[in-house]
Amino acid sequence: MPKRPGSELASRPLHFIWIADCSGSMSVDGKIQSLNTAIREALPHMRAVADENPNAEVLVRAVAFASSAHWHVSQPLRVADFQWTDLQTEGLTAMGEALNLVAQQLRMPPMTDRALPPVLVLISDGQPTDDFAAGLDALMREPWGKKAVRVAIAIGEDADHEPLQRFIGHPELQPLQANNPEALVRHIKWVSTAVLKSASSPASQAAGLPAGLNVPIPTPTAGPSSAADVW
Amino acid sequence: MSGDCDPLTSDREAAIDAGATARTATAGAHWHMLYASVRGAAHRRNGLPNQDAVRISRTGPGLVLALADGHGSATSFRSQQGARLAVAVALQVAARWPELPTASHHKRRAEDDWPKELVRGWQAVVDARLGRRPFTAAELHPLEPSARQRLERNPRLAWGSTLLSVILTPSSILYLQLGDGDLLVVDDNGQVNRPLPADPRLLGNETTSLCAPEAWREARVYCQTLVAAPPALILAATDGYANAFRDDAGFRQVASDLWVMLRDEGQATVQAQLAGWLNETSAQGSGDDISVGILWREAT
Repeated sequence: MPKRPGSELASRPLHFIWIADCSGSMSVDGKIQSLNTAIREALPHMRAVADENPNAEVLVRAVAFASSAHWHVSQPLRVADFQWTDLQTEGLTAMGEALNLVAQQLRMPPMTDRALPPVLVLISDGQPTDDFAAGLDALMREPWGKKAVRVAIAIGEDADHEPLQRFIGHPELQPLQANNPEALVRHIKWVSTAVLKSASSPASQAAGLPAGLNVPIPTPTAGPSSAADVW
Repeated sequence: MSGDCDPLTSDREAAIDAGATARTATAGAHWHMLYASVRGAAHRRNGLPNQDAVRISRTGPGLVLALADGHGSATSFRSQQGARLAVAVALQVAARWPELPTASHHKRRAEDDWPKELVRGWQAVVDARLGRRPFTAAELHPLEPSARQRLERNPRLAWGSTLLSVILTPSSILYLQLGDGDLLVVDDNGQVNRPLPADPRLLGNETTSLCAPEAWREARVYCQTLVAAPPALILAATDGYANAFRDDAGFRQVASDLWVMLRDEGQATVQAQLAGWLNETSAQGSGDDISVGILWREAT
């Protein structure tokens, strides 16, 4: 019996990148501890979603930004191997530099044209202190930056929604507001599961027609009342 | 357009729907054809149908291959039908292809008229179907308000589909691509090439589509003369096939491997295995529906 034609088969890579604010203000009222906890607690749910779809290889990494930006987890790791190391806070909010770092990794190569649309999750409690527009431009110049599923989480009432909305780049999706640890956990879990699931098996979309989301994003789960708001 | 003009009469639709079985026939003096279409592994898990369609047929000037991939998104909830209509219209258009004296005449006609005939033909039958069976509340209920608005502006989005077509005439081979998918040709030395270059816009899950208002502008056409060195094999596939391989070289090897198998072991052997290979490829690769149409020439 002849062998199957063609060479090595592989599931399609899905890059999931946390882009986390570690500026000094994130140390206030336990925000950074809550973020570390929320991401760590979401990992088992993320792994479960990845296990449900063997045709997508979920690869996770993280960028941290404060007075400068750096890769907190630089190598794309399979979600089964991904462990969360706590973020530490200091300094300002180099959000633009963080987007620049992500843009460099979304170039082809190292990306390939057979990837699934990447998922980028930007989390911040403030406003950029560097050239945010330059970073966003660099990201959007990359074909995979434009095609990425871009989600933003605003922590606390002082978070500036304007840059987060520009990052999302679509009026149908607004930044998710987290004013307490429970809301943050809920939002982190939502992007780790519902958004990841949608991105890992996207149907084709007709391009060039009136704008729709590249990947349909499910409606976020509603939160409880704001009585417990602390941020 | 009346219902009588709809290219999918019930028996034809059933024939096209039988895409999961490899089929074969001989056409012309030396060319053979086979095709298969399988439901993707992810579609099986999620309870979705096979939204591809493929068919090869004898036609006026020679042979026609048509292959389509329905978008499958929530807004394109009739795209399984849209793909079948695309294939049926492509066969109709090819059947009306006139006898022309030279490859140059075929090239001019292909570039000037073919995309418009395909797009306008598909859009006409889609519009007729919408007139006969408007969208139901059950179809619209799952959609977000913004998706409904997009559908109100362009109802053809519900049938959204790609289309690849190849027409083999006595003097030339005509290739057309609208949307994602792959066309490969193998020469007598086993070298694999693409008759049309890759389209950088078709990244991720976005694709150009028959449902765009002037979709013919998105179609790409190439005419290859048969005078010099005709290809030994032509392969058309939906994007689920290429996306299942770790790299492009691995996918291109499909075409050269198939050519060697067809030449050395015969069409019956390949035909018997083809659907199984596609199922394995989807399961271990992209998870998407995979359809493939192959024209190959016996060595003289």
